[in-house]
Amino acid sequence: MQAFSTADYATRFAGRSSNIKRPREITCFSYDNNHELRHDESSLRYYYTPELNSDLSQGYNTFIKHDDSVDEHLDSLLESLIELEKKDGKLATDDIDFVTWRGMVTKIMTVPFMEDGFEMNAVFHEGTIYIEENNQYKQANRGFQDERGARMSFWGYKFETLSTLSKPWADASREEIENRSREVVNNKAQYCSIVKTGFGSCGLIIAGEVDAIWDCRPLNPENAINYVELKTSRSISTPNQHLNFEKKLQRFWAQSFLLGVPKIIIGFRNDHGILTSIDIRETQGIPSNMKKEHLAQGLGPPPWNGNVAINFTTAFLEWLKGVLAGATGVWRIRYQQRGREVEVYQVQE
Amino acid sequence: MGVPAFFRWLSQKYPKIISPVLETLPLEIDGQLIPVDTTEPNPNGEELDNLYLDMNGIVHPCSHPEDRPAPETEEEMMLEVFRYTERVVAMVRPRKVLMMAVDGVAPRAKMNQQRSRRFRSAQEAKDKEEEMEEFVKMLASKGTEIDSTLQKKGWDSNAITPGTPFMDILSIALKYWVSYKLNTDAAWAKLKIIISDSSVPGEGEHKIMEFVRSQRSDPEHDPNTRHVIYGLDADLIMLGLATHEPHFRVLREDVFAQDSRPRVCKICNQKGHRAEECTGKAKEKTGAFDEKSAPNTRKPFIWLDVGILREYLEVELRVPGLSFQWDLERAIDDWVFLCFFVGNDFLPHFPSLEIRDAGIETLATIWKENLGAMKGFVTTDGVVNLERAQYILDGLAKQEDAIFRKRRQVEERREENAKRRKLQQGNNGDSKDGTKLPTHRGKNERVPTAHPANIPLFAPNDTSVETKKLNHDVVVNRAQIRTANYANKSAAAALKAQLLQNTLSTATTEPSTAAGDSKPNPDQSVLGKRKLEIMEEGSGAQTPDTQTPDTEAVDENTDTVKLWEPGYRDRYYEQKFNCPPSDTDFRKGVANAYVEGLCWVLLYYFQGCPSWTWYYPYHYAPFAQDFENIGDLKITFTLGKPFKPFEQLMGVLPAASKHNIPDAFWPLMTEEDSEIIDFYPETFPLDLNGKKFAWQGVAILPFIDEARLLNAMNKIYPKISDAEKARNEMGSELLLFSESHPLYDELATQFFSKRAIEGDFQLDPRVSEGLSGSVRKDPNFIPHSGLSFPFSNMSSDLYGDIDDDQSMSVVYLLPEKKNLHKSMLLRGVVLKEPALTTADKQFLANRKQGNGR
Ligand SMILES: [Mg+2]
Repeated sequence: MQAFSTADYATRFAGRSSNIKRPREITCFSYDNNHELRHDESSLRYYYTPELNSDLSQGYNTFIKHDDSVDEHLDSLLESLIELEKKDGKLATDDIDFVTWRGMVTKIMTVPFMEDGFEMNAVFHEGTIYIEENNQYKQANRGFQDERGARMSFWGYKFETLSTLSKPWADASREEIENRSREVVNNKAQYCSIVKTGFGSCGLIIAGEVDAIWDCRPLNPENAINYVELKTSRSISTPNQHLNFEKKLQRFWAQSFLLGVPKIIIGFRNDHGILTSIDIRETQGIPSNMKKEHLAQGLGPPPWNGNVAINFTTAFLEWLKGVLAGATGVWRIRYQQRGREVEVYQVQE
Repeated sequence: MGVPAFFRWLSQKYPKIISPVLETLPLEIDGQLIPVDTTEPNPNGEELDNLYLDMNGIVHPCSHPEDRPAPETEEEMMLEVFRYTERVVAMVRPRKVLMMAVDGVAPRAKMNQQRSRRFRSAQEAKDKEEEMEEFVKMLASKGTEIDSTLQKKGWDSNAITPGTPFMDILSIALKYWVSYKLNTDAAWAKLKIIISDSSVPGEGEHKIMEFVRSQRSDPEHDPNTRHVIYGLDADLIMLGLATHEPHFRVLREDVFAQDSRPRVCKICNQKGHRAEECTGKAKEKTGAFDEKSAPNTRKPFIWLDVGILREYLEVELRVPGLSFQWDLERAIDDWVFLCFFVGNDFLPHFPSLEIRDAGIETLATIWKENLGAMKGFVTTDGVVNLERAQYILDGLAKQEDAIFRKRRQVEERREENAKRRKLQQGNNGDSKDGTKLPTHRGKNERVPTAHPANIPLFAPNDTSVETKKLNHDVVVNRAQIRTANYANKSAAAALKAQLLQNTLSTATTEPSTAAGDSKPNPDQSVLGKRKLEIMEEGSGAQTPDTQTPDTEAVDENTDTVKLWEPGYRDRYYEQKFNCPPSDTDFRKGVANAYVEGLCWVLLYYFQGCPSWTWYYPYHYAPFAQDFENIGDLKITFTLGKPFKPFEQLMGVLPAASKHNIPDAFWPLMTEEDSEIIDFYPETFPLDLNGKKFAWQGVAILPFIDEARLLNAMNKIYPKISDAEKARNEMGSELLLFSESHPLYDELATQFFSKRAIEGDFQLDPRVSEGLSGSVRKDPNFIPHSGLSFPFSNMSSDLYGDIDDDQSMSVVYLLPEKKNLHKSMLLRGVVLKEPALTTADKQFLANRKQGNGR
């Protein structure tokens, strides 16, 4: 077993800045309303302002929920890469060290400040390391979700339904826009973007779900795509709530940072699930704005630091690449809650 | 828009929408004018992105100013246009787009009004000319030396109509000027200029709206774009609201500002005396350029902030406790719709609705009271829900009798007051300012007595400087109104009267103390003879007796319809429509046509022209009571095609303006055997329709029958020259920008490199910096060619030739319209901090509870 120490991260990973590559989309795919894979952007949604004071619980009983206990592995990601290779006539994983879901890198990125545990499986194949979540661990650790918890998770999907359209605003009919509150919420449909990005010397292909696009795909494919991440959060009225929100913001930020999603739109709701306000934030500015805010209001250091997270991720991935290069069999990457190191060991020949 | 006084009403009711434009003026150092560096931050507190110029609002005042001498040639008019435009652009400092839109051929629905304006304007010119002739004759008989310019014929402003040689010159001039600015002004480096000249169909402001809508429907449009529209029409405010872009300002001259310029005499254009005092002596020239070098005193400009108006409307219109979602955007649309009832350019307004009688308030109250019962808004994205509209009409119908009676009462009270004042004045003998007022007047004019609320505030088209001045006078000095109005209306006649009174006093039979007399005097002089006839009492609208001799004065107060007395509906239909009281089907037909009109106008404002050929075929509106079950009507429009420029010219110009049309067509307007000679009456009746001033009246002109017109013209078309044919073609919008803009390289590669493409090229808003649409090669443009001042017969110190043109011109096409435009705010729009305080809102609320005024 090998271990990567997370001790003293705040000092060890501060200061220097890693060489980061802007994520660029190489392909995308959709799951339709039945969660069938489609190699197109048919499930891409377009953001349009939701109606304030909407009840996020409305339609809870008709929610069509995707069963996420089934292990989907990297299947659709790999199929999409094969599809891309057919189209391009060349290997998609040239110069790529890691292929994984966005969620995995998010977990790594948030190790220093979140201290949530995780387990992943890794395989080295033809020069590239493929990482997926250890589904057993995930199922075992997800804990019991009560009625309120289920309702609250519905609120997030409902917010997405309320804030998006199937086509750009100008092409959508008034009826489509005004009837969003009556639309059945279905989280089987998804749109995923697959990007190429880089941390230090590591090249990555990351796939992740994208909630919506702000405008439209740029005419020139070289240009960045203005995707948006949609989130819901409890509206803030106490300092404690503010601190909790800032902590949550770290995951919002890391997720969006990894796919190069430039905007995060937060729907604030009250305890009864009524949408009270909308906040549109630029992903890039989140860490620095938080710092500025803390400084200006004398709040002390912010609960997390974007630069440290990036540097930690870079150092860890570079280390992991060294550990797994040329390895055979299945390897486990494990981090225990509030642990002091990330462990890597072989679980299968 | 034909809402007299709308602008003023709005700015009084909602004062915070108005603010002064902060303008940096060029510095004069050692006699040299240092132009303002407009790359500097905008002094108005925020940077503005797009400036839209309704160019007719510049061309009219620049080519025939009413408060100073007119430029002598059309080329000089162009220099005036440049100067004025330059100033407007410099005060706004647009950073992204400058769109210059000139009126192209208008929808048929607008042509009735255009025709009426142009026939009247020709009539006025003719009257003025006759007066002047008489005057000159009289001066000659007195042995006075006469300035030769006095006898010069005035420039025919009817030339400002698409298809005329003048509009061609304007188009060339604007293209030159824009290229010149792109080459010489650093503030234009990143500016994209769109020129929509008169060869592109559509009214200027509506072409602008089409542009705004098209940009809005592009997903990459910045929802926080700051828009400014310059123009004189009051309906620009409505158009601004209709875009649902909240960062929208209307820019215009401050018509209420104290005019610091010395007034010039209307007759000889000299300073120091009024028209009534003119002696007709030639002026002494001062310097080589004479009055043109006089200090260019600038009228201040004002902003009208549509965003703040939206705040007011939110307070005014909000209805609590509805069973459906309150939506400010849709409430605003309904309000705009209600305003159309009170007046617009395409339909005569309801007899019961007058802006000064609080017409809009009346309707807004009915709307609020019925909103719950209607279970939804009256309009949706420019489409009227007629079932709900019936509620509004029913609400108004109930009040109609009372409105007419009340209006009469108020009038009578005013008359009483006026009589009392007249008696008091009669004792003094003279008017307040000591000058004896000339009393001669045309029989269809009336010197307004001191009736502030009855004084006309704006002419229907709201563009006349004369009217603005009049308005200004109302505000500044009511006592002077009589003189000012008088001088404006018929200066030569006034002068003649003055001379008669003062120097030939024995001849006059006019009472010299009748200044405040509310009854017009019989016209006893041939001098002020008016050819516009007042419609004889009871004469039918459709069979006007144009031969009515004008020897007998008609007292326009003797309104035989008498809206305030029972039976007025029958009398109205009998007298205005020549329709017997029993014919209810006819009334229904009128009402249905009017409903069509309302639907047409709303679509025109919110979606673009729904039909080029539709028009309201009557001179008068029905009563609200005449609308029954309009919810059952199915209204559809056929888009049709716009007229060609010459067809519009033949449709709107009187024979007196024929020099603006190719001569091959002249016989159609002048020859007795012309198959359409009935379209061009020499004289026509004018029905004051209960109003006080000639310009408020209804010109009874025959409607143009499109089929007959086109049929007659088609026989002539083969005879016109190639140059004339070219002037009759439909043109396209042009996009111009400088070499400093990223678009230049992109499009140089597209159109002028070895890999050049033919056909359309879609603009990438990320390269064009926000502009979407597509472009095509401009066949008249060659990169880096010479650019020369287009007027060879004159020189300009200001504008010269450029050897290497560093701007580009391409044909510009709006993005394709895929869907109905929706009245919604765009995602990502950031509204400004509210301008209205709680106190402001409280004030509004209190006023609402008051008597509605
Ligand atoms: Mg216009």
